This record gives sequence, structure tokens and C-alpha cells, in this order.
Amino acid sequence: MTDYDVIVVGSGAGGGVAAGVLAEAGKKVLLLERERALSFADVGRDHLRNQRLSQYGHNAGPDIDGNPRTDEEGHTIRPHEPGYQNNAATVGGGTRVYAGQAWRFMPQDFRMASIYGVPAGSSLADWPIGYEDLAPYYERAEWEIGVSGDHQTMTHLPAYAKPYPMPALTLARKSVVHRYGLQQLGWQDLRIPRLINSIPYNGRPACVHCQHCVGFACPVDAKNGTHNTMIERALASGNCTLRPEVMVRRLKVDAGGHVTGVSTIDSTGRERDFSATVIVLSCSAVETARLLINSATPQEPYGIGNNCDQVGRHLQGHYYPGAVGLFEEEMYDGIGPGAAVATCKFNHNNSGIVGGGMLTDDDIVLPIIFWKRALPPDLPKWGHANKRFMRENYRRVSDVRGPVQEIPSPDGRVTIDPQVRDRYGIPVAHLSGTTHPETVRVARFMNERAKEWLMASGAVKVWGDEPELRLSGGQHQAGTCRMGDDPQMSVVDKWCKVHYHDNLFIADGSVHVTNGGFNPVLTIMALAWRTAENIANTW
Amino acid sequence: MLTEPQIAILQAVVNVVIPPDDFPGGWEAGVGDYLFRQFERDLKDLVSVYQHGLLAIDAEARAISGNTFADLTPNAQEALLLRIEQGTVQTVWPLEPAPFFALLVEHCAEGFYSDPDNGGNRGSVAWKMIGFEVTG
Repeated sequence: MTDYDVIVVGSGAGGGVAAGVLAEAGKKVLLLERERALSFADVGRDHLRNQRLSQYGHNAGPDIDGNPRTDEEGHTIRPHEPGYQNNAATVGGGTRVYAGQAWRFMPQDFRMASIYGVPAGSSLADWPIGYEDLAPYYERAEWEIGVSGDHQTMTHLPAYAKPYPMPALTLARKSVVHRYGLQQLGWQDLRIPRLINSIPYNGRPACVHCQHCVGFACPVDAKNGTHNTMIERALASGNCTLRPEVMVRRLKVDAGGHVTGVSTIDSTGRERDFSATVIVLSCSAVETARLLINSATPQEPYGIGNNCDQVGRHLQGHYYPGAVGLFEEEMYDGIGPGAAVATCKFNHNNSGIVGGGMLTDDDIVLPIIFWKRALPPDLPKWGHANKRFMRENYRRVSDVRGPVQEIPSPDGRVTIDPQVRDRYGIPVAHLSGTTHPETVRVARFMNERAKEWLMASGAVKVWGDEPELRLSGGQHQAGTCRMGDDPQMSVVDKWCKVHYHDNLFIADGSVHVTNGGFNPVLTIMALAWRTAENIANTW
Repeated sequence: MLTEPQIAILQAVVNVVIPPDDFPGGWEAGVGDYLFRQFERDLKDLVSVYQHGLLAIDAEARAISGNTFADLTPNAQEALLLRIEQGTVQTVWPLEPAPFFALLVEHCAEGFYSDPDNGGNRGSVAWKMIGFEVTG
């Protein structure tokens, strides 16, 4: 007899959906979250401590003290510092503070190796499932969690079986200008699908177009994260217990190495074990890999699921190339979230590069972030000229950018640093390696497309950064427990079940073989839905 | 915490980094208040760096002109900080001039352009200047 039918570890995009689906299917679910639930006031609007600019801390976890990671130069890195690859830690995870871009991956994204071949040194591979397997679950997520958009503009995808449940959000002034630019170029011009209410939906109001969307909580609860949708439904079913501020130290196994539950410690220091028939890990790519490795057993001495040295490898996120443009007219009108138009013309079929990426106009850039990241490189950093530029051009500058599909490297990876412990005494994640150099080539290619778009929109001057080879993860982290048919080359099977285990599943970005040239959250949600439904049907 | 003479140097430097025009300069807008608050929090470890750096700026001014930094004309102050930004100083500094100045500039911008709850940007004056308005 176990305490629960299912324990879900982590309450973000994947875990929240898994808990909701399983609880509504009648399973007795324990949903564990290492940090606490945050109100709108808790998240606040600190321009120096948020998920967009973590200069001195975060507004949605984890705490900057007691949660270090290490890198290969021997640095101990705190969560708000560069190189940590942070994702929010709170009930709802990143969905508590995201801006909810709700993209479906393209059919080609599941077949990267077949389409492009495998670049030397990369671990590019096909997924064991295709777009058609996920399409019904994308649709479920769109309707039940709530996405606004215009399916008729999504001409890069197979036809939708159903439209989005809500129309696309209003276009800000700059989006109207950028749409004109796309039309001038003859590039695909689509409306960004968002997990944001454009009209009242599921009992919550429509977006009020504030300026603090991305990186912050919604003032009117019009953003649809898992915290206010699937987790609420899980709790309403009466079948789910949510325990925040509980950290899973390791998975518990029996003498045969079969997973039987979790060993936890809470924020007051209380240690407690919970047992369950099925365990679902949803801690995001870095922390799920860390937990598996920290759960080594006699049968799996390098970590659960890691007998083939695949756990933690292929870490990927998204390079975000783009460019900034100066316009004669005012682009800024304060209508948030900001980004509304996009093109997928360059996600595939580009000559001389592997894959590509999507481009959108950008969400509202807060003044201090604008000062730090958007100013032209030839502008003095201080003095009259700098102040005058800010004054005259904050509203005349607009950028376009987007995620490129990263080409994974097996050396970009998460391992464990046994020398460094977190506040609970658990060995921390050690990050090493980089993405594959092809990712940098793709990013450079996309930078040029961004500049073309800005010029077509009427920019009088454009500038941007040169991408550099580095490790990538961050809020879009993925790939560390990749899905595959061959247990030698992957961690989970096509149902996201860990190979050689019958009751251990993963529902987060870890399982993504590749991460698309898109914000990955809707794919995490759709896959979690499919995984949870399969668990409910099987167990 | 900084001494009164160090604060006087800081005030003069902040007002060159973000000079007054028809909008307030950095000091009037609260950059100093931002820094004082941060010196007790996130920038606690940098207080002595600031102390040494500010005194070095003043020593540089005295060596070149015989005046304190605060007593230089705005043009002379700007010219001196330009040289410090490029790392071309004439006195012996206890720290690297260019990185210190770059850090100070970064912190001035944080105090001026971030949210008033951080202690600077008094009355959202920087946001009014650039046209950033909070609704909803």
C-alpha cells in the first residue's frame, strides 16, 4: 500500500499539467514544489530583481542563497548570476511569470537529423514521435489552459483541427509597423499565440495590456500558467495534495532498484519519505538530471536512468538572436505585452545552415533593461549624449528577435558537484560544455534576417550583438533526458518513461530531443498531457 | 558607509555621468539614495571599492588642476572622467580605473532608470523623461 498513486515532483509547466490530468482521472496525486506559492504582491515589480533582469536577485525563485551551481572554471554561481541557467522556482514554475508565447513545434522540428544530417560533433537526432502525435495534445492545452491567437495565420503548420479559443491580442503601434515590414518583404506574417486571455475565459478577465508582462505576475490574472489552471483543477478535484517548500533529495528504491517513492526535506528541515505507485519528474532540465544522478543505486551507480551515460547531456535552451532598430516615428505606445507579430519563414529551408528560428517583435523593454541591452554600441555610456538618446529615443527604438533551434552537443551537460552542497546538503548541479558551433552560425544568420526586417519596417539605423559559443539553457532549458527508442542513446522512451523502469516518467523539457525554434512551453504542456493521460490509462 | 568628503565627490561624479539639463541630474533624481541603499544590501562588498575609487578620482583632479573634482568646471570634469574611462590616469590608483568607472556608470543608470522603489528615479522622473508610463 502506497501513500499516493502518483507523486509529481515540480509544479511548473509539465508538473502542473501532469498533476491536473492525473487528479482529474481519479488518481491520488502528491504534487511537490521546492519553493513557495507567490502572490502578485510577492512577485512585485522590481526592475532589478526579476526573471528578465536578475541583476541582484529573482522575483520568482529560487532564493539566491543556498541554491548554488558550479561551472567548469570552478566558480560557484548563485541563481541570479550569469551561467546559472536559472528557471523560476515557485508554484507554477516559469509559467507564474512568463509572457506565455504558445507555439507548436513544426513537423520538421521532430525530424532534424533526417532532414539535415548530423553535423560532426553534434548529437542532433530525430524524436521518436512526430507532430501528428502531439497535435491533439497541443489542441487540448490551447483550449483547456487557454491560448489566444489566429490559427489562420499559422501557415507554417498543418491545418489546425480547431481554431484557438480566443482571438489574438490587440496589436501595439510597433507591431502594426513591423507587420507592414513583413508584408513589404513578402515574409509570412502571423499573430503570436499567447497563453493570455484576449477576452474573458475560464472565469478570469482579459489582458489589460500593462507594461510588466514578461518576467512578472499578471495584475488581473489574465495570464494562464499552470498555477491558475491545471493545478487549481487538480486541487478542485479533491485528489491532489500540493506541498510547497518541499525538496526531493533523492528517489527511493527497493532492493531491486525499483522506484518506490521520494525522500524529501522541507524548508523547516523536516525529513519525510512518501511512497507512490508512479513517480513523475518535472523539475526542468537541470534539476531533473540532478535528481536522477543524485539518486544513484547499486543497480544504477551513475544515477537512475543513467547506465548509458545519457542523463544530463545535450543540455540546450535558446540563443535569442535579433537586432535593434531606430525609427523616426514613435514605435512605443505602452500597449503590453508588446510582441504580437512574427514570422516562421526562416525556421527551416535555409540554405547553408541547419534549421533556423522564428522572429518576433519584442515585449516591452523596461527602461533599465533598455539602457543595459538596447543602446547602440557607438553611443557613449554616460553624459549628455547618453541621457539625450534615452530621452529622445526610448519610444523610437524597437527590436525583433527570436529563438533559434539549437544544435545540441553531448558535451553541453549537467553533472553533479560532490564538493558543493545546497542549503539542504544535497550535491549541486555542475554545468559544463557548450552548444554545438552550428548553433552560433544559425544565430548569426538570424541576426541578419532581423536586420532586414527592421529596415523593411522603416528603421533608419540598426544594430545588434555578435553571438558567441557558450552553454545554453536558462528559462527554455531542455534535452537532458532525451526521448528515444534506443536505450543506449536516450533516457526515456516515446511515452516519456525512463528506460528499464516501469513506473518512472519525466514531464518537462528534459525529454525534448531538440527544442524547436520556438518558446517550448506549449510543447512541454502538450507532452505532459500525453504522458499523464497514458499513465492514467495504464496504471 | 562613505564619509562626507567622499559623498561630495560621488555627488559631483554622478552629476557628470547623468548631468542635469531640463530634467534633473542623477543626484537630484535620487541616484545617491539608490547607492546608499545598495551599499547596505547588494553592493555591500563594493563600499571600499567606491571609497578608494572616489578618492582616486579626486586625487587625479588635484594632480592635474590643483582643484578638487567637485570644483572643476563641468567640461573639465567630463574630460577627466573620459580619461578615467579609457584608463589613462596620471596618478597611482589603488584599483583599475576603467572597470571601476564602468561599474559606477552601470550603478548610476540603475539608480536613475529602475523603479523608484529601489530608492532612485525620484517621482519616476526618469520614466517621465523617456515616456515610460505604468498603467495597469
